[in-house]
Formats: sequence, C-alpha cells, structure tokens
Amino acid sequence: MAERAIFIRAAGDYYAQADEALPELGPLVKQTLGAQVRRVGRFVQLALIGAARCVGQRQLPATTGVYLTSGRGDMEVTADVMEQLFRDGQAPRPLSFINTVSNSACFYIAKQFGLRGRSAFVCNRYFSFESALQLAMLDMEAGVSTSALVGSTDIVLAPLDVHRKRLRLAEGTPVAEGSHWLWLEAGDAADEGAKLTSVEVLADGAALETWIARHARGAGTALSVGQFGDATETAAIAARAGVTPTFDYRDGRAYYDSQSGAAVSAFLAQRPEGVTTLLHVNRDAEGRFAAFAVRF
Amino acid sequence: MTDAWLVGAGIRSALGDSVAATVEVLRRPPSAPRMLDVPLGAGVEVVPSLGMAGAVEEDPENRLYRLVEGAAREAIAEAELGPDELKTTALLLGTSSLDISMTEAAYARDLASGGEAYPLMSNSSMGEMGRVLAKRLGVGGMDLTINTACTASANALVYGDMLVRTRRASHALILGTELFNRTTALGFRSLDLLAPDGMRPFDKNRRGIVLGEACAAVVVGPERREGAFRLTGSANLCDTHGISAANPDGSTVAAVMREALGAAGVAPGDVAAVKSHGTASLLNDEAEAAGLRQVFGDGLPPLCALKPFIGHAFGACGLAELVMLLGAASAGFVPGTPGVGADPSDLGVSLTQGPTPVGRGDFLLNYFGFGGNNTALVMSNG
Repeated sequence: MAERAIFIRAAGDYYAQADEALPELGPLVKQTLGAQVRRVGRFVQLALIGAARCVGQRQLPATTGVYLTSGRGDMEVTADVMEQLFRDGQAPRPLSFINTVSNSACFYIAKQFGLRGRSAFVCNRYFSFESALQLAMLDMEAGVSTSALVGSTDIVLAPLDVHRKRLRLAEGTPVAEGSHWLWLEAGDAADEGAKLTSVEVLADGAALETWIARHARGAGTALSVGQFGDATETAAIAARAGVTPTFDYRDGRAYYDSQSGAAVSAFLAQRPEGVTTLLHVNRDAEGRFAAFAVRF
Repeated sequence: MTDAWLVGAGIRSALGDSVAATVEVLRRPPSAPRMLDVPLGAGVEVVPSLGMAGAVEEDPENRLYRLVEGAAREAIAEAELGPDELKTTALLLGTSSLDISMTEAAYARDLASGGEAYPLMSNSSMGEMGRVLAKRLGVGGMDLTINTACTASANALVYGDMLVRTRRASHALILGTELFNRTTALGFRSLDLLAPDGMRPFDKNRRGIVLGEACAAVVVGPERREGAFRLTGSANLCDTHGISAANPDGSTVAAVMREALGAAGVAPGDVAAVKSHGTASLLNDEAEAAGLRQVFGDGLPPLCALKPFIGHAFGACGLAELVMLLGAASAGFVPGTPGVGADPSDLGVSLTQGPTPVGRGDFLLNYFGFGGNNTALVMSNG
C-alpha cells in the first residue's frame, strides 16, 4: 500500500486592521458565499468568509472534518448576553444563548459546505492555530478523517480601547481581525504538492533544536517565528540546527491572537525561489514550543 | 502506537466528592432537584438545580478551581503520577462555559461599583483556564481546551487517548468541568427547556433538563491494570439538521453509534449496556430513541440515563457520566431510575429501573450537543 501524506490543497484568508468603525461583514458574506447567512454575528460571518475563500468553488468530501480555533471566541455574542443579563436585567434571547456555544460556528460552516464529518472547536492560550492543526493531523494519521477544513478566527469588539484592555495590550496597539483556513486532504505521498509533515508541541529549546534538525532541508528551508516567539532565541536555536533563513509572514501585522494561521497561506503565496520547506515555530510563556512543517 | 488505559478517575458532583461516594449513591434512586433563585433585574427567576453542596454562587472566583482541582487530584492520585510523570503529561479540558462563573462575578462587581463596566474584562482568553489548571496541577505537557458544548469532555477524552497512543504524551489528564452560571441557567430558561419536577428521559412526561454541576477527571496512560477500562472506539460527526437538536428521524444519531461500534469492532448484539445522552427534551429523546432502535432493533441492551442523578452538566457530562457509568460497572451494576422511562411508550425504548447486574464487556456512551455535535464512545474492560 502506498505511503500516505497530508496535502495542503487550498488556503484562504481574511485579514483587516481595525479602526473604531468596524466594516459591516454582511455584504462580504453575500459576495463570498453567494447568499446572505441570516441571524449570525460577526464571529460566524468572519469564519464563513475565511472558509469560503479557502474552499472556493470546490465541493469538499462530505466526510470532511471542521477544526476551528480562536484566541477569544465569539466575544460579541457573549458580551451581548452578559450585558443583557447583568446590566439590563433581561434573560438571554434563545438564539443568542445558543450562539454563545463556541462550536456554533462549526455548525454554520458544516451546513454551508455540506459537511458531516468531525467537528471540533479547540483552543490554547498561545498555540491556538497550532492546536487545531494538531487535532486534524491526529485524526488524519489515525485514519479517522481523510479531509479536514482547519481554521482560526478572531474578531475585534469595539470600542477599541476596551478591546485592547481585554487583550491586555498597551494603549494604541494596532489590532486586527483575522480568519485563516486550510483544506487538508490525505493523498499518495509520492504526489507533488505542499504537504503538512509535522505538528508538534515541544517541551523546550533542546527538543525544538532536534525537531528543526529533523525537518530542515538545508538551504531550501525557511523558518518563521510566531507572534509569541522570541526571534533572537528562535534564531539561535535554529542556527544550532543549521537553519538560518527566516520567513516573515507577519510583516507588520496588527495584533490578534491567532496570527499563526496566516503563516502557511503566506508561504504558499510568496514561496521564495528554491525554498521547499517552511518550519514555523511559536512559543508559550512556559518555554514550550509549537512547531509545524510544510514541505513541497 | 501504544495501548492506552484509564488508570485514574475523580469526580465532584451533587452525588459526592469522590468516585467511591458517587458509586454508592448510584445504587439508590435519584434525588429531586431543588429550586434555585437566580437574580434577574429587580426580580428572580426560579430554576431547578442539582448543584453541588453549598451555595452555587458562593465565592465564584475560587470555587471553580477548587472543585476541578479536587477531581483532578483524585484522578492523579489513583493513577499514581508523580511530579516527573506530570511533566510529560498532557492536559485536555472539556467544557462548555469555561470560567464564565468567574467572569460573571467580576462583571457584576464592576457594575455594582458604579464605574465603567464591560463584560469579559477579567478574562477573555479561551485557553487561559487550561493554562492555569496545567500550571496549578504541575502538568508540563501541552494543554488543549475542547469547547464543543455537551460533547466537550467526551471529545477531550478521544484526543487525550490519541496523544497517549501516538506517544506525544506519556499520560493525558482529561478534565470535564461545568459549574453554575447565570448565563446558562437563564439561557435554558429562555429556551423553555427546564423541568421543575426532575429529568425524565424517554418518559412520556419528559419536560426537559435540570441544571447540573460536575467536575470530573480521568488519567489515560499506557499501564494496563486489572479490570481497567479503555477507549476501544469512538466517533464524532456533525449533524446539520438543526443547531440545537439532532435529526428526529434518528439517522444521524444511528450513524455516530454505528461508526463508534465499527471502530471498536463490536457488534450491537455484544454491547453490555448503553448510557444514553437522555436530555429529556422532546426532540432530542425522540432522535436518540429512533437512533437506538435503528442500531439495536429489538435487541437493545440495558439502557440507562444518568442525568436524573446529577442534572445536565453540559460540557462536563461527557466525562462525569463516563466516570459514573464505569465506576458502577466496575462494581457490577448499571444504575437505574425507578419510575422514569419505565414504559417504552411512544419512543419504543425504556430505561433500567434499578441497579441492574452487569459484567465486564463493551459499553456504549452517547453524547449530543448544540452545534450538531454528536459523539459516541465505546469503553471496554472485557
């Protein structure tokens, strides 16, 4: 039996730096999906836009799993329900209450694209996108799924000064909304294409060094540092493993929690000449690293 | 790949503060819910509850961590994990409402102070609770928070088991937690899904849920122990029929049960007992009963419902009801609910009516959640 690999078949993104007047997303939902989706808030709208840009005109296998992550989730509907309850003294409206459940967004995505496979909403304080990618990979390695739609979504909730306080950001820090999606599919390892070859959480710098050495492909390797990583520390570890190039997918991006979701699509879109491998490394406050590898 | 076994368990619920205490209470009929006054504006709403002992809104900013850590430490002790093992252990948290009881309390306090007040200021990070728990418990592996409504902690078990089997973690500490909060209580009140007289799954007089609370924990590891259970099959599928109820024709519920049994290599006729999701709501019980009839035909094994004992613990019900069922099965019985679901009535299924003897074997556990999230687990100790 032929060896199998996980291919990145498509990527799609939404990114916009926010100002006080957040754009209405309804028209963009209609333009992207071809129809309006009623009675959903900004979080679901943004998830749908990103996913639809990834899926395009394709009909995904019905068994495709949906793996969604977010740093903050649907803050809009949760804050709205809490204000109704505690400030206005009103019980939650039924649909608002149902939509406080994070995986409501998975439901709308599955319904939009005719999917009935796995449905997971997962999070981690620092490794949100990496955690969704890891669950998808676990399922695909186990043969539970052969097709996965993996995404991250984070919204801004105005006013921006309050949003920054919620996110513990310094006054005036630029903030953004992002929705990043990949379609992964199992295939014959001998086939051409971008492959996701590893997603791991590593205990420390020594484990990261070993991982980089195992997955690097000499001068054809690009390395990107996630938003919570320390560029100097990561470069030093990478250098010990023989890797020097860097790939700056962040490129001045404003803050949102799930920026790692942009790394793969940026690499696919901007892949430098001769580069065959992307290694992405992020770090948490405990000194652990999350890393994933994409190879052509 | 390696095998993985349940090597430790812990629980806190209305039934008690340990697995042993819980199993003893499961030999008796469920208690009636108490009515809880929930402030809303200038008045109160009265909701049925099977919360844990003590006032559910007392000290909300410490109660959550105290209770979930209690369950976790019980499981860690049974698994005999020391500090070194915990460093390579992964933590998976399954919950629906996260730490909303704490953020609610902080917002209410800010409002009462008369100053500027906004919700979600004390914590807005969805991964923060998992991070804090890992740190407090000395767990050094990755932490993942699974947030899929009422299937959350069942799904967390599935992924924790995978992390151990693939050797990405030496052990997995899986936690399910759900404590009283006003958003959930009054949300279900708005949906008109609360049953003041108690939960009566699959009963012609079923009227809905009673609010429950639970913190449950299991440790999965590679050490085989005599009589230990392991996850031999699972399935999770998305049902897009409706966001708050499974397809009442039973097809999607049957599909997830069949896939889990297929993964375990267990024929329906060989299942020792089934733990239903059993929310006692009109549509969901209709869907689950139809699915059970499609999978088992006339050969339905003993079917139990555990929510009448602890209420609906939402994101924690996956693990809490698993710990309850496996604890009882290890003691030789499946719990029963006298007078509830006794007659097949219009749904065509009936529940165990008292402690029902059971031996070792394969047990099917069903969970269904908002967002069309359907999960089935097969746990085996045969």
